[in-house]
Amino acid sequence: MPSAVYNLAIPNMLNCPLRSGSSPTAALRISFLVLGLAVGVYAADWNGPEQELARKVASVTGPGAVALTVENRSSLGRRDSAIITNGLRAALGAAGLRLVKPEQAAATVAISLSENPSSYVWVAEIRQGTNEPAAVMVSVPRPEGSLASHDSVPLSLRKIPLWSQEERILDVAALEENPTPTQIAVLDAKSVTVYRLQGGKWQQQQALNVTHARPWPRDLRGRLVPAADHLLDVYLPGVFCRSGTGTALALTCRESDDPWPLVVGSLIGGGANFPSFGAVSGSPSTIIAIRGFFAPTRNFFTGALTPGVGKFTTLSKYYSAAFVPREKYVLWLFASVDGQLHMVDGIGDVPARLSWNSNLASVRTSCGAGWQVLATSSNEQGESVRAYEFPDRDPVAVSAPIDLGGEVTTLWTEAKGDSAIAVVRNRETGSYEAFRLAIACNQ
Amino acid sequence: MKRFAWPSLVISSLLAAALAAAETRPQYGGTLHVAMRAAPATLDPSDSTQTDSFTRRNLTLLIFETLLTTDSSGRMHPALALSWQAALGNQRWQFRLRRDVKFHDGTALTAEIAAASLRAANPSWKVFAEGDSVVIECETNDPEVPGELALPRNSIVKRNPDGKPSGTGPFHIVDWQPAKKLTLAAEENYWGGRPFLDAIEIEVGKNYHDQSIALELGRADLVEVAPEQVHRASIDGRHVSSSEPMELVALLFARDATTPEEKLLREALALSVERASMRSVLLQGAGQPAPSILPTWMSGYGFVFPAETDLPRARHLRDQVRGVTTWTIAYDSSDPIARLLAERVALNARDAGLSLQPAATPAADVRVVRIPLAAADPWIALANVGPVIGLPAPKINGGSAEDLYSAEQSLLATRRLIPLFHLPATYAAAGTLRNWKPGPDGSWSLADAWLENEKQ
Repeated sequence: MPSAVYNLAIPNMLNCPLRSGSSPTAALRISFLVLGLAVGVYAADWNGPEQELARKVASVTGPGAVALTVENRSSLGRRDSAIITNGLRAALGAAGLRLVKPEQAAATVAISLSENPSSYVWVAEIRQGTNEPAAVMVSVPRPEGSLASHDSVPLSLRKIPLWSQEERILDVAALEENPTPTQIAVLDAKSVTVYRLQGGKWQQQQALNVTHARPWPRDLRGRLVPAADHLLDVYLPGVFCRSGTGTALALTCRESDDPWPLVVGSLIGGGANFPSFGAVSGSPSTIIAIRGFFAPTRNFFTGALTPGVGKFTTLSKYYSAAFVPREKYVLWLFASVDGQLHMVDGIGDVPARLSWNSNLASVRTSCGAGWQVLATSSNEQGESVRAYEFPDRDPVAVSAPIDLGGEVTTLWTEAKGDSAIAVVRNRETGSYEAFRLAIACNQ
Repeated sequence: MKRFAWPSLVISSLLAAALAAAETRPQYGGTLHVAMRAAPATLDPSDSTQTDSFTRRNLTLLIFETLLTTDSSGRMHPALALSWQAALGNQRWQFRLRRDVKFHDGTALTAEIAAASLRAANPSWKVFAEGDSVVIECETNDPEVPGELALPRNSIVKRNPDGKPSGTGPFHIVDWQPAKKLTLAAEENYWGGRPFLDAIEIEVGKNYHDQSIALELGRADLVEVAPEQVHRASIDGRHVSSSEPMELVALLFARDATTPEEKLLREALALSVERASMRSVLLQGAGQPAPSILPTWMSGYGFVFPAETDLPRARHLRDQVRGVTTWTIAYDSSDPIARLLAERVALNARDAGLSLQPAATPAADVRVVRIPLAAADPWIALANVGPVIGLPAPKINGGSAEDLYSAEQSLLATRRLIPLFHLPATYAAAGTLRNWKPGPDGSWSLADAWLENEKQ
């Protein structure tokens, strides 16, 4: 019988210890963000390692008077450092040591709160008379971190944590709203996993494997599109998958170069919760359900459109697209592979070089002009997302940039059209975090 | 109707930074030009006759892959092995292979090929194929097997009858001129996704000066930076990035200290070395003074070892020995910093009453050596230092920081090695090289890098 299993069928769901037995384990950090909940401050329990280190110190010094110094050489904050220092003092006292001034001490104990990549390392250097200094130490596993909050101005752009995992998230779709999502689907390179919120916790309902013959391209992208007559369509480079219906879902995937939707159903009208496509007047101008062909071995759209935007059926390659309905036409925006923004109105194609990055998404809200474009930009920490309107032909920022804590790998308009899904690779943890980006009107 | 009449698009004041170069998603295409100092004569990862270097490891991992990989926190990740498990108290390890992986010559990866590759690299291991798995059996409890398998030297190689090794990595070999130039091309069907770059051309055996000029003239996109030049390169506005300090610079004695007197003299030498001034003058502030084998960022306790110069104690120890002989101290003549360090150590030794004679001879008593630590995992790194310096791997009795400390102490107690500095691997890159920086362990990960403004 195996004594230790290091991987299970569901990757990253169990710790993969580097060592076993008495060895320290490097835990895989998996954080599940519960929707709408504020992230609490981690209250670490340092009691165990404090006592262990105190015991080790006492075993060297024996009971008696010692002078103690504690120095924080690690990334621990001041508060934790102070808590640990107090805890160590108490633990040393309980171990029979009396803390005194250096001139009264029989030994000095210099404790350093240090760290290595996998754990905190607390080292006590003990000097007694002319003896060689002794060093004792303990390892303390690192606790989980916490997320930063955000700010807001004119229109408020809010980020609502949906899901986090170590595997790259390609898209997340809300399948039921009540009024916040109570059932979501998470797309990654291997599967679509459906989760339901039960008793305040996300419970996995089903994991549907995505099958594909060719290796995935690097910077893999994918999109989930909820459908009216079945649960989901899944678009991946060179692959299309469609879910079945009923409670026991199945996912059927096939090699396909079918174009991906650039307009979600609800933005062009239609019925049901997640309407299928059609050309319906929902705005001053008619929004056509344009689709774009995606390069099967790359990370961009080829530029071919169906149907086209006016006379344009082929544009330069682009990473993402958004649109803004006008009185008589729809202005399309394409984030091209060449780094430029192409503005296409059906008659002209005007390139512009903005400070935007590669991800764009349209949202229709009850705020401001009613239509906003979300665009990513770089900042010192990674990428931020900001809402823009197009009162004329120039973008005007209508929200403060919202820092997402890392590089944005996905930005898709959600099926209901008034929000977007952003997936970010957390710059601290390296894990992927999916957020709903929603616009709130500032009254 | 003419909707657009925008010869010059006016951008809102809210986009004042509009003309700044926009970021894009990764772009495919282009050839990356790299220049490196080391000049490996072979690409076979298991060829132990070749000197270990970051360059050699990185070349290996462009072409070949290991069963597992480790990240900077020491966590193991699947690579060619999808899962792994231990049995019999870590004496039997089973690694289930990823399916549908092919070598660059089109051959499918099998457990038999993987086992043969590991046997070739580790003749003393008991490795065999079992279904779709590779099994390793150890005589004792060995929790380090996964970490060992993540080392580049344990990359899976298919050795063809013509002697050419074939790998499964993100790039395949187009042309290899030993110790001169390596040309690689992206593997279109790489299981992990085709790299963004089309090709990589690596010139090896280039000294730091030539590398710097190549970068300046646009003939190279990625070069190494000498430790003492890091500060200047940063001032000059180069795109400089470094690994964590992963290379140990040390004095290595050619043989064990056979008498107590010799141990005293070696300790005196260790106490006489002025690491701080060497760092500030010779290394221009680069690296970290190292009284320990493992850097503190890796172990968490390196500061426990005394790094300060203690000349009075050094002289006291030296005075306990009669009839001190002159040691010869050697260095790699192609490494300018090694010569300067050797000369400075000799000067420091003289202050302690010792006699060291710098010499570019291989048969010296003591050498200035550069030892690239094997991995960011401190247990693996320490275990591999012993064999590199001609000593058995230190016995590590457990998995605690204290056990590691004891093992390191025992290795230092041999007095074969006097650590001097820990140096990072530092690189300068062209501004067009994107999504690249060296890993904490000096690894390149060029499969994820891309070149900006290359034609798609």
